[in-house]
Amino acid sequence: MRWTLWIVLGLFPLIDGHPTLKTDQNSLETADAALNHQNGSLNSVLHLDDTEKAALETTRNDPAFPMKELNTSHYPATRAAKVAQHYLNYHHGSPFKWFMVHAVKKASSEDIPEVGKKYHIQFSVQEQATKEIVGNCTAEILFRHTEVQSAPEVNCTCDDLLKIKTSDADHALYHHIKHQPEPMTGMDIPDSHGNIPKEMEPFWYLGGIGASFIMWQQSNESTLYNMAHVHSVKQLNSENDLLAFEYVVLLHDMVSQEIIHWHMQVAWNPTQGVKVTQCHLLPKGTLKQPSAEKHKI
Amino acid sequence: MPLLFRDQVLRIKAENAEQISILQSLETQEHLQLDFWLHPANPELPVDIRVPFSNVQAVKVLLESNNIQYSVLIDDVQAVLDEEQQELEVNQGRERLTKSFNFAAYHKLETIYEWMDTLVAQYPNLVSKINIGSTYEGRPMYVLKFSTGGNNRPAIWIDTGIHSREWVTQATGVWTANKIATEYGSDSSITTLLNSMDVFLLILANPDGYAFTHSNNRMWRKTRSKTSGSCIGVDPNRNWDAGFSGPGASNYACSDSYHGPFAESEVEVKNIVNFIKQHGQIKSFISVHSYSQLLMVPYGYTCNKPADYQELENVGKSAASALKSLYGTSYQVGNICDIIYPASGGSIDWSYNYGIKYSFAFELRDTGRYGFILPANQIIPTAQETWLALMHIMQYVQAHPY
Repeated sequence: MRWTLWIVLGLFPLIDGHPTLKTDQNSLETADAALNHQNGSLNSVLHLDDTEKAALETTRNDPAFPMKELNTSHYPATRAAKVAQHYLNYHHGSPFKWFMVHAVKKASSEDIPEVGKKYHIQFSVQEQATKEIVGNCTAEILFRHTEVQSAPEVNCTCDDLLKIKTSDADHALYHHIKHQPEPMTGMDIPDSHGNIPKEMEPFWYLGGIGASFIMWQQSNESTLYNMAHVHSVKQLNSENDLLAFEYVVLLHDMVSQEIIHWHMQVAWNPTQGVKVTQCHLLPKGTLKQPSAEKHKI
Repeated sequence: MPLLFRDQVLRIKAENAEQISILQSLETQEHLQLDFWLHPANPELPVDIRVPFSNVQAVKVLLESNNIQYSVLIDDVQAVLDEEQQELEVNQGRERLTKSFNFAAYHKLETIYEWMDTLVAQYPNLVSKINIGSTYEGRPMYVLKFSTGGNNRPAIWIDTGIHSREWVTQATGVWTANKIATEYGSDSSITTLLNSMDVFLLILANPDGYAFTHSNNRMWRKTRSKTSGSCIGVDPNRNWDAGFSGPGASNYACSDSYHGPFAESEVEVKNIVNFIKQHGQIKSFISVHSYSQLLMVPYGYTCNKPADYQELENVGKSAASALKSLYGTSYQVGNICDIIYPASGGSIDWSYNYGIKYSFAFELRDTGRYGFILPANQIIPTAQETWLALMHIMQYVQAHPY
């Protein structure tokens, strides 16, 4: 299924002038590059132009630019693996399938002059609903050293990814939502105490998968993102066979320790997977704080 | 049971066999209604007799006229019984309170403070509460002291909740305090530890922040101090006097890692520093955070390893193994700067440089699925597994005095 993805972002001047603004997003992703599902492997072509490819070829096996073995416990490896996780989730996740890095087994990096740094990671992931471990994933992650934030380029394959089958659950949910008289809404997932009503779990997962796109796009060697909270979710009208939702999610960057708020529109159906159709950063202080009685973020 | 108002218990020291036989003959005098708590047997052993009030004078005269030595052990049996009964009821009430406290839930600040008082009241010979100073907004900072005596014994320091949104840490602190108090005497490792060391546990290291996470913003991390401008709060774990304002800390007041205007500007940090310095015998300093499942050692302000790195890493690795043995939870071990990020002004860097060799920082569950909002049903498993790591460290510290 062909997908052309448009990501439209507004650049919001932040009211308090937050200094670590990284919102420039103009990446356009085509279906050919992004979605190549073959035997559970995902290949995205690293977008190196000819000059860059030549540079890469030169440096490969050149002792002046060696592959550096990385300690799998240290943050360069763990941050790169987290990016691969976000990529994997965005391309393979669903309301019933959400992966977290389980263990980093091997990691190395190489400097690519004039371009950036490329990481090679071997890792395992665990699917959160089934607790199944997918043991053999390899990824190449290229962080370009650019002035403005640019999405890391990822090449990721996992053996046995397709062993986790959620299509029945996905279809059942899809039909359930399609047949509701009212569009669904939800807030505060989880609540302050970590509770999630059972019927909200798929929407929490869906938010996580959508957020994975944003986290992938926003990542660099100085970030480590996790989705901290779903502030709100609201089903939107959609004319086609896709379900559409509007989310406000809170992302936590471990490195700066900041909580950042993103608004996103997510489209989903069981066969086409999850797509973020729109997203933008919300300035700090945008979210209205409810009254003191309730638990809130 | 008949009222024993002003009945007395006399302790009699018989000197010879003759006096013993006099006392034995007293036993047969039913009209005296004597209740022998310790029967006359031989002169080596005391004879205790509860004497009804109406017969007290007569019995005393009899003893004196036979030159039998005695003393008044209890001069009003009923009063003793009344007091005992009262204490029993109070303890039962407290026990109900501590037993009914739900460790598998997150509680507001006031509830935790109330619970601390019931714990102290329940175990007064083991647990005491120390106010180490007030917060910016005027809340008390209470440290629980676990001690079996001695005079300023070498001690372990543990703090939880310095970053207020890390709720599983305060909850783990509460569970841990309860664990130590309730199992001292029955758990051999706790008992051995407290035979020669004290434990200080600061459950709410950032009370103002914690209150704010309940009332306004679940994601609040910092203190609530007003410095300059419109933004509030300082990252209390960038405010210590160790590489202050170095890498990994922000000089922007609105940042969640704002280090503050100067080291120890935050009264919460200053209170802990003062306590540690004044105590003088702290041998281990453990700060508990969440999330990421890490057990870290100094330094954060530099990636250079501390002199004791190898030993600390070894202890950390064994502690992490112990932790993993319970539920399979995996922790990474290493120095802060390499494992997570360069971060200056951190508590365990300060404590290590101050001379407290066994300085450790935990990041508890999970690795990002729930993050700060860990479901309450994971509190107890988290606390249980963390306990194994803490115990390993504490036992090691006890076995390696310095």
